[in-house]
Amino acid sequence: MQSDTPRQDLRCAMQNAVAGQNAAAAVKAARQLLAASSRPSDVLFCATAFSTMADALAKQLGARRLRTCIVRSVTLEPVLPSLAVEAALENYVLDIQVGGYGSYVDELLNPVSALGNFQPELILIVLDLEEIAGRLPDLCADGVGSEVEMEVEACVARIGQLLRGFRAHSSAQILFQGLVVPDCTSLGDVAEANLPHSLTAAIQSLNRKLAALCGTVSGCIFFDVDRLAARDGRARWRDERMFFASRLPVAAESFRAYSRGLVRSFSALFRAPRKVLCTDLDNTLWGGVLGEDGPNEIVTGSAFPGNCYLEYQKYLKQLSARGVLLAIVSKNNEADVREAFNVRAADLALSLDDFIARRINWNEKADSIREIARELSLGLDSFVFVDDSRVECEAVRQLLPEVAAVEAPAMQPWKLVEALSEGAFFDVTTVTGEDVRRAAEYRAQTQRAELASSAIGRDAFLASLGIVCSFQSALQAPLARSVQLLAKTNQFNLTSRRYSAAEVEEFASMAGGQAVAARVRDRFGDSGVVGLALARKQGDSCLIDSLLLSCRAIGRGIETALLAHVGEQALRSGAKRLVGEFIATNKNSPCADFYPNHGFIRISLPENASPVSKFYELDLTVSPPTSPKWIALEDH
Amino acid sequence: MGFEQVPSSLRELLADVFEISPDCIAPELSSKTLENWDSFRHLQAILAIEGEYSVRFDPQRIPELTSVSLLQAELEKMGVAL
Repeated sequence: MQSDTPRQDLRCAMQNAVAGQNAAAAVKAARQLLAASSRPSDVLFCATAFSTMADALAKQLGARRLRTCIVRSVTLEPVLPSLAVEAALENYVLDIQVGGYGSYVDELLNPVSALGNFQPELILIVLDLEEIAGRLPDLCADGVGSEVEMEVEACVARIGQLLRGFRAHSSAQILFQGLVVPDCTSLGDVAEANLPHSLTAAIQSLNRKLAALCGTVSGCIFFDVDRLAARDGRARWRDERMFFASRLPVAAESFRAYSRGLVRSFSALFRAPRKVLCTDLDNTLWGGVLGEDGPNEIVTGSAFPGNCYLEYQKYLKQLSARGVLLAIVSKNNEADVREAFNVRAADLALSLDDFIARRINWNEKADSIREIARELSLGLDSFVFVDDSRVECEAVRQLLPEVAAVEAPAMQPWKLVEALSEGAFFDVTTVTGEDVRRAAEYRAQTQRAELASSAIGRDAFLASLGIVCSFQSALQAPLARSVQLLAKTNQFNLTSRRYSAAEVEEFASMAGGQAVAARVRDRFGDSGVVGLALARKQGDSCLIDSLLLSCRAIGRGIETALLAHVGEQALRSGAKRLVGEFIATNKNSPCADFYPNHGFIRISLPENASPVSKFYELDLTVSPPTSPKWIALEDH
Repeated sequence: MGFEQVPSSLRELLADVFEISPDCIAPELSSKTLENWDSFRHLQAILAIEGEYSVRFDPQRIPELTSVSLLQAELEKMGVAL
């Protein structure tokens, strides 16, 4: 039996937090309690506590409330307390409704089923092998079965019908759970691994095809439960006794791992990934202290333990290949660091040029991170900071709570990569061309800034950039990029509405509606799709529901060109007025005066409008907005 | 109420499961007398007890163990020191 005193203290702390409705204290107590105790009853205790604090979590911590439907063919009720707790720890409050065992087809396809009427924002689809591909085990029994591939295709087609049928009447985000590769089969381990149509091979192929299918349905992700099961150990993932007795697909010991995996997966549908990784150097990027040991003695390279640091460097390099920006924040002499990167280039996987920003000085690290945020025009909530010093991490946590600080395990460098990959900071559902080009784009930005400081006058500078702007449907931007912009843009975002792909499609398809994406390039490079506008027609007015611009493109007049384009389209659809809406957030002050600056006049709130909105109006027949003269417009 | 007859560890565990005060966990409390004690809550109680005392119930017995005294007796039969 574990000692009970700290456990009782933490349970008391939790009860006090509930009594005082103190959300931050409750989350902290729950985290500590669950780290100290593996008792199922403590999870239930925390779940009960959180269930009485939904409002406090939402109000005090900004937890996202999600009406969540679970469509299933297995027993998931015992997992729900654990799911609610893991969700609360990740700042979600789930309002969960569970469907019937045998009614998932009706629930998915019938818009007026109980599920449809619940109007979920998130739907978790958890079907077992029997439901998705019940014939496969028999077809795979001899390992060479000729019908296996056809059966896999038929299963994928059937699930495709379900997902698309659901999408036709609901814009809820979808998480579709894949299959766990069965552990015990009649073929045995050797044939499972070697025969072309073993059940293992068939399920793996089915999972891959289901994942590809999910990629074709907007707002839908595939949840690879097999990856979790493999990590946790397939042999203990399912308790056969409880599976056969109660159709429970996951053993009680794995509830937390399973719940955490579910939350991490659906999070990627609701939360923007972080964009910048700031790493410390000494005992983080390499072993040892450069200032004391000298460049030849710092630990990095192919021999242990240098290879642990090399592995961390490679991991960072891979992150940067998909658009995560790397930065150095280190207390060192800059000349020493340059020398180290030169002298030890053969032992390092990264060069100084791989880092888009560097703060190598003796300033406070929080100040350095703040400077980099300003330099890159990114919010602090886009930053991850990795440092082996607990003191530095704690200082950053206190001074810049939006930044995610990761303590590098200096005494166990082989855990560096694990420490970073455990966090969901950089989780994405898709990688776009813009992501891949991002580092080059930021380098171009630095060059533009240099030009700006040398050019005479703003207009002359902007004209010298040779900006070319083209407009296209947000559906072709591609749509994934449009949704990504809606999800990630904070500073220049007039209403900050985070629409799903399905909702963007609605704007594009309604009469007089607009869903426009702005693509921009200049002589330093192609910025890709950086702006988006959504509008709908109401009478003889065109209402601009959303207008946003990636922070990298602010200050070049592109927002004006986009507004002018929306105005033109509105005139063409017969509108006489443009109506703009602005909703202030704590981040979008850069665009607070966007409409007044473009000649719009403040009007009173329309009926049924939320009081947080401000509305503005412009008479299109008198003074339509025009595009700046330094921007060349290109037909798409 | 007789809650003293139920060992405190079991009492606290069942209190967490059924979301009631430990003082209400009396031997005669059962799925018939407690509205909260439905089939899913029952499964949760079984899983929580298994985790707490590192035991595994015979799945054929699980549906029958629908009162505090039956659960307690089963645990004692399995040699658990409560």
